[in-house]
Amino acid sequence: MLFGCISVPDFAVQAALEGSIASFLTEPAAVLEGPDSMLKVIACNEPARAAGVSIGMTRLQAESCGAVRLEQRAIEQEESAQEALLACAYKFSPRMESTAPGTVIADLSGSSRLLGSAEEIGAALLREAEAAGYVANVAIAANPDAALHAARGLKGLTVIVAGEEAQALASLPVAVLEPPEEISEILFHWGISDLRALAALPEIALTERLGQEGLRLQRLAKGATQRELLPAEPPLTFRESMELEEPVELLEPLAFVLNRLLEEAMRRLRERSLATDHLELKLTLELHPEQQLRADGPASTVTSQFQKTLKLPVPSQDAKVLLKLLQIELSASPPPAPVKNVAIEVLPARLRPVQAGLFQPLAPEPAKLEITLARLRAAVGAEDDQGRGRVGFAQPVDSHRPDSFTVLPSGPAANAKAALPETSQLALRRFRPPLPARVEMRAGRPAAISFEHTRNPIVRTAGPWRTSGAWWDSSREWQRDEWDLELNFELNFAGEAGLYRVFQDLRTGEWFVEGMYD
Amino acid sequence: MTRLCLVRSYVETRLPGALSPHLRSEPEMLQTGIAALDRLTGGIPRRGLTQICAPPQISSGRTTLLLSLMAQVTRAEEFCALVDASDCFDPASAGAAGVDMSRLLWVRCQRMRGIKPLEQAFRAADIVVQNGGFGLIAVDLGNIDERWVRKTPLSTWFRFARVIEKMPAALVFLLSYPAALPQHAQNRRALPSQIAQKRRNPGALELGAPALPQHAQNRRALGAPAQSCAALTLQLAGSRGRWQENANLFSGVECEFAIGRARTRKPVQSAHGCFTANPVWA
Repeated sequence: MLFGCISVPDFAVQAALEGSIASFLTEPAAVLEGPDSMLKVIACNEPARAAGVSIGMTRLQAESCGAVRLEQRAIEQEESAQEALLACAYKFSPRMESTAPGTVIADLSGSSRLLGSAEEIGAALLREAEAAGYVANVAIAANPDAALHAARGLKGLTVIVAGEEAQALASLPVAVLEPPEEISEILFHWGISDLRALAALPEIALTERLGQEGLRLQRLAKGATQRELLPAEPPLTFRESMELEEPVELLEPLAFVLNRLLEEAMRRLRERSLATDHLELKLTLELHPEQQLRADGPASTVTSQFQKTLKLPVPSQDAKVLLKLLQIELSASPPPAPVKNVAIEVLPARLRPVQAGLFQPLAPEPAKLEITLARLRAAVGAEDDQGRGRVGFAQPVDSHRPDSFTVLPSGPAANAKAALPETSQLALRRFRPPLPARVEMRAGRPAAISFEHTRNPIVRTAGPWRTSGAWWDSSREWQRDEWDLELNFELNFAGEAGLYRVFQDLRTGEWFVEGMYD
Repeated sequence: MTRLCLVRSYVETRLPGALSPHLRSEPEMLQTGIAALDRLTGGIPRRGLTQICAPPQISSGRTTLLLSLMAQVTRAEEFCALVDASDCFDPASAGAAGVDMSRLLWVRCQRMRGIKPLEQAFRAADIVVQNGGFGLIAVDLGNIDERWVRKTPLSTWFRFARVIEKMPAALVFLLSYPAALPQHAQNRRALPSQIAQKRRNPGALELGAPALPQHAQNRRALGAPAQSCAALTLQLAGSRGRWQENANLFSGVECEFAIGRARTRKPVQSAHGCFTANPVWA
């Protein structure tokens, strides 16, 4: 059996520093938790400890220790960091345990032929943790607890050979085992400070005085326990979030935050060879009291949610594409108040493999096209007054109603090559909406038509062609007589034809010009 | 002379190719599917700006021509984009003309008064051109009032022409008049009635010749063509409807066109022709 443990020292600090290794190693930083009036230090890094900061200090005391960066504890960022650690371990083994915040154990049994020796695996685990942005300690041992305690107590990479656990752990302090406070005090009074001393105590006498818990601690100190891992499933919800210290009002700084979250989410997707075609952005807004009153919210509520959803026709792993799409969406309809929390969630989807060919015809790149469509929507609007899209690929609707179509955001499945008509098909240029007209009738046929402030005599007519539909629904019912007309433009275009399609709405008796044959 | 050589060598070391003539290769042509037009021009040039002009009120066949071109392009499995400034595209007509709608990106500008739709159309055309990957980009400004189109600076047309030169796509503008020509060349444009007269009586009228200003005539005498950013200018004159009187049926149109100017084949300045288009039911 072989187990590998990744342990991130001062995990709360590293999570609060958002994976910045340089800041963690050089800049004194501490994490505070508690109510605003009673903020206390719950974690700090080595430079902060050197500056005199210790756990339990109040904010004021910590501030008096010099230039120490003080961050509020961000649970969501810690959860994201834990998921990142699990993702690191998942690269080496599908069986892993999320032991504690900042600690992950992976079952590496049988992986030596695939991944190399224990030292090589340990070094690779260290590199992965560093690539994820965390300073970590890694230990490899024959049982999970020995690996756990070695990783918590010894810096860098530790490889413990099976049977030598007691010697490897001997120098570690008893606090590594996290004993109950009562036992910890007793051991302190006995003068037991490290695991070597604890392991050397007689078993029966120890059990008589400290009970089963004392015996368990001694076995842990000897590295002689065996247990099964509590496997953690790798999360398939890809959610990233960030609590902002100061509310962000402008879109540009918000884009930096979004970029970081998207890159992290895409990295995790890439690790599983997945992509996304659905992204949800949730912004928590900070509303001012006046806005709260307008929103009719309860007086105690200080936040409001702002959501955006992106749906892509083709799954993508490209964080830049998604960022650009979000930027376009947000600039078209920006959040109404400063943002204090940003969360994105992407739904995983399988990548669509595309085989490029030398002789393949020209086609727009799907990801680039998606950005172009979003920019076009921002330029011309997303929908018309009938709810049909303004940008996309037209799709006929199965209906006899004239001018019925939908506009899809992505191209429907390519049709089989339809035969082209032998002669050119006359096209209709539509007026949307149809132009109101006044028609003068003579002997039951249109003789002159007035629309767009001009009156034109009609030279020839064909019709009427009666059509109707949706008689079962009075709100959608239509009934009309269509005519094809040739107009005579006496003044400007003498001798040239203006061929128009007009119709009379039989329910109201009104005339409209539907379009021009062109 | 020595100084000229010095200046030349100085400029060429700083900006290589700045003084070399820009050679245009023979462009690849997209077939329109209208035999009469393809015979005369070889089609619509890729890497070039084409303007199809016709007065907005008369049925000239410009939309039929555009849909026929789109049908040919989509049949070759290439993508088209249509920027529709006045939202007048009819998907049913396009389907009947053989356009594969899954390969046609349609951008419907909002119907507004004034210059706004034109601005929207140019912005949308810019975005589509930047995207690349399209075989044909059509911008339908056919229903936009001429007075708004006239406000478009010539530099805009030149910019589009220069950008499209570097892309394997054809850029086609549907206009009410040849806007992508300088003013003196626009003055020479043929009126629809002139085109029709020319067709009926070849040689009777040089298109728009009397309107040439003096400086343009001088240029012409020197053999210099009027500066145009359009690789091809098609002017559609108008049409005559065909009616089956007995059947009370409108059965098609005969459309006339003239090639105003072409950089692709010479000389075609006064070439004209006609084509027939039938409605779906004929």
